[in-house]
Amino acid sequence: MRSATLKVARFEIMRQLKKPAFWAATLLIPLLIGGIYLISFISSQSVEQNPTIDENTKIAITDAAGILPIDAPYVIDGDKEIGKEMVKNGEVDLYFYIPADFAESKKAEFYHISEGLDIFNNDGNILKGILLQNATERVSVLDGLALTGGYEIVDNKMDKNGEAVNPLGKAIIPFAFGIVFFMFIALCGNRFLLNVVEEKENRISELILTSVSSKHLIVGKIIALLVLGVVQILALVVPVLILAFINRDNPMISMVMSTIEFDPVTIILSLLLFMVSVIFYAGTCTFVGSLVSTAKDASSFIGPAIIAMVFPLYFMQMFMVAEPNMAVQIMTYFPFSAPIALMLRSGFGTISVAELCVGILVVAVSAAIVIRLAVTSFQKNAINFSIAKPKFLKK
Amino acid sequence: MKNIVEVKNFKMVFGDKTIVKDLSFEVRKGEIFGLLGANGSGKTTTIRALLGLYTPTSGELLIDGKKYDPEDAEVIVGYLPEERGLYRKENVIDTMVYFGELKGVENPYEWSMKYLKRVGLEDKAKERVEKLSGGQQQKIQLGITIMNNPKLLILDEPTKGFDPMNRRLLMEIIDEQHKKGCAIIMITHYMDEVEKLCDRALLLKDGAARAYGEISKIKKEFKNKSLDQIFIDIYGENENA
Repeated sequence: MRSATLKVARFEIMRQLKKPAFWAATLLIPLLIGGIYLISFISSQSVEQNPTIDENTKIAITDAAGILPIDAPYVIDGDKEIGKEMVKNGEVDLYFYIPADFAESKKAEFYHISEGLDIFNNDGNILKGILLQNATERVSVLDGLALTGGYEIVDNKMDKNGEAVNPLGKAIIPFAFGIVFFMFIALCGNRFLLNVVEEKENRISELILTSVSSKHLIVGKIIALLVLGVVQILALVVPVLILAFINRDNPMISMVMSTIEFDPVTIILSLLLFMVSVIFYAGTCTFVGSLVSTAKDASSFIGPAIIAMVFPLYFMQMFMVAEPNMAVQIMTYFPFSAPIALMLRSGFGTISVAELCVGILVVAVSAAIVIRLAVTSFQKNAINFSIAKPKFLKK
Repeated sequence: MKNIVEVKNFKMVFGDKTIVKDLSFEVRKGEIFGLLGANGSGKTTTIRALLGLYTPTSGELLIDGKKYDPEDAEVIVGYLPEERGLYRKENVIDTMVYFGELKGVENPYEWSMKYLKRVGLEDKAKERVEKLSGGQQQKIQLGITIMNNPKLLILDEPTKGFDPMNRRLLMEIIDEQHKKGCAIIMITHYMDEVEKLCDRALLLKDGAARAYGEISKIKKEFKNKSLDQIFIDIYGENENA
């Protein structure tokens, strides 16, 4: 026979999965991501990043800086006012003015007839193409590279022993778990609170507590809510991973993929930290939900609960320092701030494996304590229908 | 053991308020027991403490010789609380099946459909609970209460909100359970129900027993007055004094 916990979990999962509101909330963000991707994809199809010069496009350039050779195409012997007049008259479609102080100001001017909102027009880049072409034709390849800045500086970081290190690559996995944890807080917090209040609001506590123990009820609910949270996170993460896979040739994505360091210890510890953190957060919300009697009371707690969890983000710079100060140490081991603090320090590489393990243990023990408190509190407060708030809230 | 319920020296204090004072009584196996008293006399508090929903300040409350544990397969209790509620957004059959699973009913779906047919709610099986009338919801709750063939059935004001027809249906169901050997504790304000159904009763006032025993003995003690009159006499004591 399945245990009562699993029966509760199954019921809670199925009833949520059957609700259109759950799927609306779950699929809204992936749909938005997909929509944004689609718009940018369509835009990239319609707008050329480096527009070529159409043979029908009439161009004029005033080169007051003398950057182009006298016989260069499009260069006219006239000032800015003449050029603007040419645009107005329709003699040219695009007019560029390179001022005499171009080297200092690093600004050239571009005149053309506006065609509405025109936000995707990048015809201005035509001048860049012309300048680049002329510059590279006149100078050597090396000078051309120096001139255009079209080169990359490869960063080789070393530790104190001269060994190559890859701090960004090491940070990606802990930070990725941190982002997923943050999403979990934002997406699931409210449901955690309301789910426990539901029995009280529907006045069903007596009927349910004489059918199943409060321990099995609360633990079953927490399991169900964690499973539902995972469903929501997967609905969010999977489309992002699919898009990343489709665009794996994108320089940004291939750079990230080649940078990630798949260190088993980091992966295991990050996963463990994520798991105990979500259980702790779920337990905390359930405990708060067990104290109050109505959804209204419960919802006023969601803000402070999230702020308590994300508190370390406000002091992110402090977590980058190798030698942590007292405030960082407190946030690292204080159960409410520990999940994000540990993820930050793990990402920035400012915590040792031993310290991280202690932090994970602190969060795990705290999770067990809040779940225990939630069970006791639910049993005690379950049938106080008439009490809108616990005593400390009334005060 | 001839008693299904044993309450010994039960006392319940909330803050500075004593709700129940040193209460002792038994409910015998297979009997229908009336738990009577005005609102606030301590009836529901006693039942909640018996079912482990409240921790007693002192005393012992046992069902079949043990403290009640909802997951103890040997002590099967059905409880219809005074506070009526169900998962409003769920449909009827899912709710019943869920409770059936929790209570260890073998085929909860089949049992529930059979019950719904009996109480005339077969067509409401897929309806959301919130779409049902109060009386219909009460029938669902009664079904949940009796679905696991309880040894002890505790009904807190079971006929509250029922029309005469549904009241008769409820009485039939109670009678059936009784015939199966189930002991029943009935909390009610209807003294005619008590006289008609109950073997024994306990009348509480301010958390203390004022009358206890077989109905005939209680009546004899109060000069063969009706239970209605006995109730009025006991609760009128302070006013007359």
